[in-house]
Amino acid sequence: MSERFEESDDLLGHGLAELPRYSAPARLRVAIVEAASPAPRRPAWLAPLVAAAATTMVLALLVLPVLPRITPADPLQRYVRAVVSEHSRTLMWGARHGEIVPTALAWVTQESGIALPKVFAGDDRLTFVAAEPVYLERQRGVAIHYRDVDGHMLTYIALPAPGLAVPDRARVQIGRWRPALIRDSGFASWVWKQGDVGCFIVSDMVSADDVERFKDYFARVRATTEPVLAY
Amino acid sequence: MADPDFHRQALAHLDALYNFAMYLTRRPPDADDLVQETYLRAFRFSHRFEPGTHLRAWLFQILRNTFLTFYRVREREAPVAEDGVPEWDVPMFHHAPENDGAAMDAHTDLERAMRRLPEEFRTVLLLAEVEGLPLEEVARVMACPVGTVKSRIFRAKERLRGLLRDYDVT
Repeated sequence: MSERFEESDDLLGHGLAELPRYSAPARLRVAIVEAASPAPRRPAWLAPLVAAAATTMVLALLVLPVLPRITPADPLQRYVRAVVSEHSRTLMWGARHGEIVPTALAWVTQESGIALPKVFAGDDRLTFVAAEPVYLERQRGVAIHYRDVDGHMLTYIALPAPGLAVPDRARVQIGRWRPALIRDSGFASWVWKQGDVGCFIVSDMVSADDVERFKDYFARVRATTEPVLAY
Repeated sequence: MADPDFHRQALAHLDALYNFAMYLTRRPPDADDLVQETYLRAFRFSHRFEPGTHLRAWLFQILRNTFLTFYRVREREAPVAEDGVPEWDVPMFHHAPENDGAAMDAHTDLERAMRRLPEEFRTVLLLAEVEGLPLEEVARVMACPVGTVKSRIFRAKERLRGLLRDYDVT
C-alpha cells in the first residue's frame, strides 16, 4: 500500500493529509477551563480578621509571662499558700539540701536567718527527715521536715513575719496554745506566731481523725521548738 | 489571567493542538499533559500575543517549545515494550478513530516512517501536510524563514520515501 506514496509527491502529501486525526477528549477541555478559571475569592473580611487574630495571639504570648500573677490580698493566705507550695514541692522532689540537726544547725541558721535554740528532733511518732533554709514571700526562713509512723509528711516552717496577724475565728485550743487551722489546696496548716516569727506546720492530714493527730503533732513540735530571729 | 474572549478563541484550536500533540508524543496521557500545559502557558502569557496575528500558529509554537523542553528528553529514553521493540517504533493506530484495514496498513507504515524522521522534519510535515498550515505560519512556529521550511519539507519527504521503500523490502 505504501508503494504509491513513493511514486509522487502529491500522493505522499495526500497520504499525510489523510492520516487519522485525534480529537481532544471532553475531560481535557474541562480540565483546561477549570485550570484557567481564577480561584474563588476569599471574603474581603477574612484576611483582616485572620491578621488581627494572629496579632492578638502573638501579643498575648509576649505579654502573659510579664503580667502580675493573681495572689491573695490577705497576707495570711499568701503565707499559707507559699508554705503549702513548699510542702508539696518537698513531697514531690524531697528536700533541696537535707541536713541533720544539730550538726548543720549553724549552717541552717546562717542561711535562713532563723536561730533554733530548741528544736524538735523527732520521737516515737515523728521522725526527723531534714532541715533546710527556704525563701518564701520574700523572706528567708527555715523548713524542717518530719514523717509520722503512718507515712504522713509534715513540714514545719518558720519565717520572719512581723506584720502577720493570725485571725481569732480560725484558732483552735490545743493545750495552752491557740494556733489557727487554715486549709488550702487540700492541705491543712497550723499557723501561729512566736514573737516576730511566723510559724507553720503543713500536712495533708485534713480528715476529722487526722486533725486530732495533727493537733498532737503540733503540740509536740510547738513545745520543743524555739525559733528566733538570728540577726 | 487572560480574558474570557481570548480563552474562547484559543480553545477553538483544541482539537488541532491535541492531534499535533498525539503525533509528537504518541501517548494520550502525554498528549493531554502537553496540551494542558500549552494552554496554561498561553493564558498566562496572553499579553504577549499580538492581536491580528495568527493565534493558531502562536499556540502551535508554544506547544512545540513545550514539547522540546519537557517531553523530548523523555522521548530520547525510548522505553522498550514487552516484545522488545522500542515503544516509539510501535504504531499507535490501534487508538485511531478509523479502522479501515488497508488504509490502516498504509497509515501505519507512514506513521512509523515519520517517527524515524528528525524532529524538525517531522514537525514541518505535521504542520504543513497534516494540519494544513500555510508555509508562513509553519515558519513562525519553527522560528525559521519560509525558504527553510520549504527546504525541510522537501528533504523530509525524500527521507520519508526512502524509509517507506525500506518497509516494502522488509
